[in-house]
Amino acid sequence: MGRNLRLENLTKKFGTLTAVDHVDLEIEEGEFICFLGPSGCGKTTVLRMITGFETVTEGKVIFDGRVINNLIPQKREFGIVFQSYALFPNMTVEENIAFGLKVRKMPKKEVAERVDQMLDLIGLRDWRKLYPAQLSGGQQQRVALVRALAPNPQVLLLDEPLSALDAKIRVRLRAEVKRLQQELKKTMIYVTHDQEEALSIADRVVVMEAGQFRQVGKPIEIYQCPNSSFVADFVGTSNFFKGSRYEDRVKTGKREFKISQSGPPTEGEVFLAIRPEKIEVFKEGTLPSALEPSNVISGKIDVVTFLGAAVRLTINIDGEELISDIIEKEFAQRQLKQGEKVLLYFPPEAFIVYPMTQREGIS
Amino acid sequence: MSRTETTQGLTISAPISSDRWLTGVTMGFLLAVLIFFMLYPVYDICKLSFFRGEKLTLENYISYFTNPRMFRSLTNSLIVSGATTVITTILAFFFAYGLTRTTIPGKGIFYTISTLPLIAPSIIQGLALILLFGKNGLFTRYLLHTDWNIYGATGIIVAECLYCFPNALFILYTTLSAVDTRLDEAAQSLGASALKTFYKVTLPSAKYGIASAAALVFNLTITDFGVPVVIGGNYNVLATEIYQQVIGMQRFNLGATISVILLIPSVAAFLLNYYLTKKSYALISGQARPFLQPSRPFKKWAFTIYCWIPCTFILIVFATVFLGSFVKVWPYDFSLTLKHYNFPSLGGVAPLWTKFWASFLKGEWQAIIAYKYAPIWNSLWISIFVAVGGACLTLLAGYIVEKKKPKGEQVLYTLSVLPAAIPGIVMGLGYILAFNKPYFFIYGTFWIVIINIIICNFTLGVLSSIANLKQIDKSIEEAAVSLGANPITTFARVVFPLTKTAFFSNMTFFFMRAMTTISAVIFLVSAKVKLAAIEIVFLDIDGRTASANAMCTIIILIVVGMLVAMRLITGRTALKGMSATT
Ligand SMILES: Nc1ncnc2c1ncn2[C@@H]1O[C@H](COP(=O)(O)OP(=O)(O)O)[C@@H](O)[C@H]1O
Ligand SMILES: [Mg+2]
Repeated sequence: MGRNLRLENLTKKFGTLTAVDHVDLEIEEGEFICFLGPSGCGKTTVLRMITGFETVTEGKVIFDGRVINNLIPQKREFGIVFQSYALFPNMTVEENIAFGLKVRKMPKKEVAERVDQMLDLIGLRDWRKLYPAQLSGGQQQRVALVRALAPNPQVLLLDEPLSALDAKIRVRLRAEVKRLQQELKKTMIYVTHDQEEALSIADRVVVMEAGQFRQVGKPIEIYQCPNSSFVADFVGTSNFFKGSRYEDRVKTGKREFKISQSGPPTEGEVFLAIRPEKIEVFKEGTLPSALEPSNVISGKIDVVTFLGAAVRLTINIDGEELISDIIEKEFAQRQLKQGEKVLLYFPPEAFIVYPMTQREGIS
Repeated sequence: MSRTETTQGLTISAPISSDRWLTGVTMGFLLAVLIFFMLYPVYDICKLSFFRGEKLTLENYISYFTNPRMFRSLTNSLIVSGATTVITTILAFFFAYGLTRTTIPGKGIFYTISTLPLIAPSIIQGLALILLFGKNGLFTRYLLHTDWNIYGATGIIVAECLYCFPNALFILYTTLSAVDTRLDEAAQSLGASALKTFYKVTLPSAKYGIASAAALVFNLTITDFGVPVVIGGNYNVLATEIYQQVIGMQRFNLGATISVILLIPSVAAFLLNYYLTKKSYALISGQARPFLQPSRPFKKWAFTIYCWIPCTFILIVFATVFLGSFVKVWPYDFSLTLKHYNFPSLGGVAPLWTKFWASFLKGEWQAIIAYKYAPIWNSLWISIFVAVGGACLTLLAGYIVEKKKPKGEQVLYTLSVLPAAIPGIVMGLGYILAFNKPYFFIYGTFWIVIINIIICNFTLGVLSSIANLKQIDKSIEEAAVSLGANPITTFARVVFPLTKTAFFSNMTFFFMRAMTTISAVIFLVSAKVKLAAIEIVFLDIDGRTASANAMCTIIILIVVGMLVAMRLITGRTALKGMSATT
């Protein structure tokens, strides 16, 4: 077993507000973990308890087999990357990176070597003499990243490091973070509210809501088998139906869907969720014959949005809106247009069923 | 979800974090300093006024209120402070309006001239008015040949208006430049007349700023000592009455009683100012100011002329005192001379300075440089200590209050802002009562003067430190800590460099206050410890007005030298956004 980081029953209360609510997690050495959740769900608070900037109300933070609840931050040797970069404005790039090394009283020569090494990692050798204010946001965050890595921390924690940057740079930089993580095999904990970011870079994703961990798993598991309607809704896009289940049928309004999920809940009030890309869209009169007839519904295309390789259709079925994504090629082949009447097919195996109690009020 | 079993791992016990330890010790130190050097003297004053021996008594208050001459000092104080408050606030408001809401030319010059009174002791206003309108005034005696003169209430009011002008202006300028001018434009576009817009939109939106400026002016005037002592004549106010009772008649109990009476309006005005400033800042929107529409020619001319009026008065004051120090016999013989700079023998020596010059200068020059200029040298030394000490202490206090927020931080904050509520003259008397004891070894030395000036001006230093520290993102400090820096390294390498500008401007502020303050230290000077600003008062009382002018000019030159040096070091004008309290 490597130097694992473990959270045990970890809880933080601010007065009466429970920001983090009895969470458990084991993070292996070298793992890339993402905390994903809406703003205010307690992600930063978990991170700050791990770094020691916030006291723990209840539970334990355990690193390498030792409870470190009371260890002061500078003794934890965890690197942090902040959303606001937090570079020292009075120091050059080089001095910023060297800061953590100098305070450790590393010999001058080694400091210089290490700084070079770090600058090479991000390809910013030429920028060493510049001040943070002279760099772009993306460059600043790169510097912040290697500044945190320079003292070779045990764990690197990143709190929404890219959310202040614009979309293009965000995508490039997150690939860079991923590359660094794989090269250095460093344990990283990455906080974000952007589900796409989380799914694309993490080894494992922790989905948080209201201070609790709703689901922990590989990105693909989270996406394909969300364990609750919250996760299904927050991670990716889902269409929801309210209904009541008996055996392999769910009655919703005047319709009745056939489903193939056999697990619980097997009867009673349920939510049905289906991903937009699982719904098939046909022009009237072109429906293949072998399809389960009860899972076909007619509707009208209200809005067409091009997302690049895919096309998002907002479809009106009896006054309700529903979202369907199809690849651009199919959209063209099937000659779909806005305002057109279409037939939608919901494959039985694409439905995920959740008990009604989990989340009220999703339409 | 991976639920793990409870670990058997060993717990690392909490080492007393050096950070919390340092914060605790620093806060304890600051609290001790403030309690001992601020609360304790005030407590002693209250005690003396209410007790005779062990017995609680109102005797002192009865004798104050039944003696018509003494009682008049209260009504006099209220009259001059009230008048000054109304006049200054109105004058400064329109001045600020001109600088912020019109497109008049020369705003920079107006602003700079209007801040000049801050670099001189308040007494300069009195000296200038006497030279112009006194018994031997240029206008009264020489030009108009009248017997009227400005001594008394009129003189005090005019002088205080000039002295308080920049202080009121700072507040009003901030208020008016922050209030969104688009409101005015919106009202005008809806067809409201210019005058109506002013009454219905501009004035109400600036009301907290106006009221807080008024409260500050009231506080400054009622606590000032320098102006009434030179120009008040027989018109006694609370501050001069305290001095009279204590120094003139050695009636400490009455001095203490009047001090308590002075504390009431002064504390009330301070609280009002504090409360209103908070309210006023809450209204300020962070939006960038939209482009100012070019003003109509009439408005432009009217405000340009208007703004020149106070500026001209201020320039005349400085020019008069400057000139008054170089002419033979004002206003009869205007031939130039340096003889007033050869001060009458003031007595007193300055450590190091006197010895140094006396060792090789002889005769007249030795007397002038080594002895007669000793108070200036003392003031300079003291000001340097006050500047460094004051800036350091207030930065530390601000850092603890704003960034560390330990338990009891509120107490430290309250004690830190309180000194502005206590008039300098009261604090000075409190120091005599509390510390004039044989075992208190620093009494009668420079150190007590240094401490007194730092404490009296603590408020503004702390407030400006806090405002500056607020701008440092919390995560910058956390970044340093997470990189392994200890609290001292974090402070020295990261926090301090980022607050350097505020630190230097605080240093400048403390230096200016130390060079120019009179009321706080007049009770603390002695034959051994003499100060330049205090010598102005004594020279004037001795009838050596021209030498008083000379001393005043020297102080101004030293302060200007300091400002220039600071400007060269930091590349910024240190005077901006600074105002004197107490
Ligand atoms: N220092 C604090 N004092 C009081 N409440 C706090 C504090 N820090 C965070 N909170 C509250 O705790 C909750 C979780 O905050 P946070 O961890 O910052 O969420 P996230 O990072 O997921 O957006 C929020 O409701 C927030 O208002
Ligand atoms: Mg957060």
